[in-house]
Amino acid sequence: MAAPAKARDLCSAALRRAEQHAQVTHVEVRWLSEQSERLRVRDGAPDGISSGRSAGFSVRLIASGAWGFACTGDAAEAAVHRMVDEAVAIARASARLSEKPVRFPPRGGEVGEYSTPLEIDPFTVPLETKLADLATPEAELRRGGAPIHSAEAWMHWTAVDKLLMTSEGTNVSQRLIYGGVGLSAIAVGSDGRMQRRSFPGFPGSEGQQGGYEIVARTGLMAAAPRVRSEAIELLGAEQCPEGVRDVLLGSNQMALQIHESCGHPTELDRALGAEISLAGGSFLQPEDLGKLRYGSEIVTLTADSIAPTGLGTFGWDDEGSPARKAPLVDRGVFVDYLSSRETAAALGRESTATVRADGWNRVPMIRMVNVSLEPRAGSLEDLVADTADGILFDVNQSWSIDDLRLNFQFSCELAWEIKRGKRVRLLRDARYTGMTPRFWQSCDAICGPEEARIWGLMLCGKGDPIQSMAVAHGAPPGRFRKVEVGHT
Amino acid sequence: MTGAELARMLTAALAAAGEPEAEVYATFAKRGFARFAVGELGQHMQLEDPSVVVRVARHRRVAEASCTVLGEQAIADAIRTAARTAPSVPRDEGFPGFAGPDEPSPLALARYSERTARASAEERVELLSPVFRRIRAAGLLATGVLDTTSRIEAVATSHGLTRSYESTLATFKVWALESAGGSGAAGHGMCAHVDLGALDLEAQTELAVTDALRSRNAGSLPAGQYDTVLGALALAELVEWLAMIGLGARELEQGLSPLSGRLGQRITAESFDLMEDPLGAHAFAAPFDREGVARRQVPLIRAGVAQGVVHDRTTAARAGVGSTGNASAPGGFGAGGPSPSSLVVQGGSAESVDELIGGIERGLYVRRLHYVNGYLEPRRAVMTGLSRDGTFLIEGGKVTKPIESMRFTDSLLEALERSDGMTRALTVAPNWWSAGGSVAAPAVRIRGLNFSSGSRQK
Repeated sequence: MAAPAKARDLCSAALRRAEQHAQVTHVEVRWLSEQSERLRVRDGAPDGISSGRSAGFSVRLIASGAWGFACTGDAAEAAVHRMVDEAVAIARASARLSEKPVRFPPRGGEVGEYSTPLEIDPFTVPLETKLADLATPEAELRRGGAPIHSAEAWMHWTAVDKLLMTSEGTNVSQRLIYGGVGLSAIAVGSDGRMQRRSFPGFPGSEGQQGGYEIVARTGLMAAAPRVRSEAIELLGAEQCPEGVRDVLLGSNQMALQIHESCGHPTELDRALGAEISLAGGSFLQPEDLGKLRYGSEIVTLTADSIAPTGLGTFGWDDEGSPARKAPLVDRGVFVDYLSSRETAAALGRESTATVRADGWNRVPMIRMVNVSLEPRAGSLEDLVADTADGILFDVNQSWSIDDLRLNFQFSCELAWEIKRGKRVRLLRDARYTGMTPRFWQSCDAICGPEEARIWGLMLCGKGDPIQSMAVAHGAPPGRFRKVEVGHT
Repeated sequence: MTGAELARMLTAALAAAGEPEAEVYATFAKRGFARFAVGELGQHMQLEDPSVVVRVARHRRVAEASCTVLGEQAIADAIRTAARTAPSVPRDEGFPGFAGPDEPSPLALARYSERTARASAEERVELLSPVFRRIRAAGLLATGVLDTTSRIEAVATSHGLTRSYESTLATFKVWALESAGGSGAAGHGMCAHVDLGALDLEAQTELAVTDALRSRNAGSLPAGQYDTVLGALALAELVEWLAMIGLGARELEQGLSPLSGRLGQRITAESFDLMEDPLGAHAFAAPFDREGVARRQVPLIRAGVAQGVVHDRTTAARAGVGSTGNASAPGGFGAGGPSPSSLVVQGGSAESVDELIGGIERGLYVRRLHYVNGYLEPRRAVMTGLSRDGTFLIEGGKVTKPIESMRFTDSLLEALERSDGMTRALTVAPNWWSAGGSVAAPAVRIRGLNFSSGSRQK
């Protein structure tokens, strides 16, 4: 879908304004308009039914060899001119502190349009239909009452229209539509102990690019009875025993494992120290490229911005680099980063097209796209049958990893103990912990494409001020040998 | 635009839309944000954050709409959008209505500095220049942020309530790094104040440099229980998580909170007092919440006994109490139920961190924490996280050598039961997930804090 003529005119006006400043050597002007809808039903009552709109312009430019960024929500030519002048003033001031001018590699301009393929535009579906699609499964979760203490179901939709025009001649407009549905039940036992079960994955991991067809595909109603009974069963389950076991990760937990231990440490800005002020650094340093054994031979991870339904899918990133798919870890060896044009150039490489901003008033930065584990073969049940003594973890409950992305600890809602190839019982409060490369090096089985799902994480936080980005992970289940497990 | 002008705009929009039951909350923040990394000022930005959120109720059917245009017409349009939606929303029998003019007036808190509001790009660069020089001279790399924010906010309801407020906040965070990417030694400093002129950038930079230099060549320790001094920023982060999992009425209702079913019972050390104190010297929040309700002091834990949680108008009506003025600002991280804005942990009697360290024969001093998570077992407030930016071995009551990052996993409330000292002085840390939110905390000495895994190795 083409951006509105007024937005296009104002972006052009901003570019012209920037060209009037002699010190300016590169300009990117963005317009972004976002429409959103959030619905939640909790314990039989609406709990926030909201819709939102946000729109504005931003400019990122290089003047006097330094970066400047400014933005405005005011769609008037004078405001857009003022925005450009502010960015130039910032860049000129910053240049006084710079030891070396910004090296931003030139590239040819990109021209085109991209939009999310979808069947049903979610913004055309009546509110009554949406609320019914939530209220029915939410009521099913509460059917029978105690020990189910609280239940909720939610739905969210976002449509982003954006236009990028640059001094290199890039002129691309995109329309991205994504959303998701989920539910959760909380059971509280007579001893005050609490257990939560969620579906389709941990809350906030249900996002997909597409339309309202996602609701039928997810199937909340079909899942609700199982979610309720598992929450109740967990109240009476034994704690996960401490020890070293083989660990199987279900698809949803595998997505978070990829996110925290591969996605973030392969962000090149982190590796170069640009994200210390909130998120930390990375154990993956440039000298490790092509050498460091990140995982076993069967582990290949990719940065993919073309996968259907992925939240990291687009036509171009926010620097105008076209979407692509390329390995980050190839047969176990660390081979590339998620990068921007500037950071990639610092290593003599090309951008892997991962730069995005979470709104019109934030600076674009390296973000995960669809960072995915390549599937191998076999079903999850085959993998269970092949495991003599292990624990199958799925649906994340807590997550923590150190500032270099090495030492991690995750706990999950679900932990099935496996004995002699069979699931024998659910365990509660289960956690596993490890060191990233050692953990991935212990991976000896990855399931096939029929078990792999792309999970969309809605709230990946990064940057300062914090930016919340929708990212995704293609995640087949897999097995890891001799992992430290225990209870919280 | 002033806060009063914004409030008049909201009132005019309400009048133009003509809805009998409506509420409008609007904010506009202007931020000069100088973010530097490895000695380069790579993200220096002028940011605008406009936000308008309206709620309309039709016979207890409540709908919300938002926009980012601060104009009477756009706001009236948002009200009409919510009004069109409301009839399709199921009735919320617990909806208490929007606040009216009988709502008590908030205190007039002076949290505005002209210098912060007018700070220019040149001034930020001027202030950062000696920071860069000092860190470079120490052979280290400068990373951090200097943020100068001015903010106006206003609330108006169709029942005649009107509030407005103007505030500023200047924040400086600095790291001195041995190497880019964070794999070497690091030191950290931080300060925040309404007035940019009151920030002591030099002292915080010196602290970061000193800690980075004494953190080089860190050794390792095995997992185990260690007597530990947690720096004020480490305790503040744990208290933030306690707020997230359990100090709001929603978590209490859902049975998720460590306070659920335990109000009036002792849940942690008798020496532990925690209060929501938005009116005191350690807070940056506006004196009213998004519903226009005046914020007030709320005892949460007193002498280790669970006293209560914070409320908005809806949860307060369900609980049969008054709102504490803690309706969450829309759109923030974790926004939803009511949440504290300005937490204060009462300090102890120790005159310094060194005094706390002096009481440990063998243990750890942890300056800050990283990636804490409190969802492991919320009813017990079990949390995990890692040390960063300065972890030191204590031997014979003195810091003797640096240690690599360690992971702790423990119940905060049970760990505090084992605490036997806090500093008198508090450090105030603005949080990153809500405008004006903060935690003020002392450093604390905890006996036998559980470190579940030792130092890291590739």
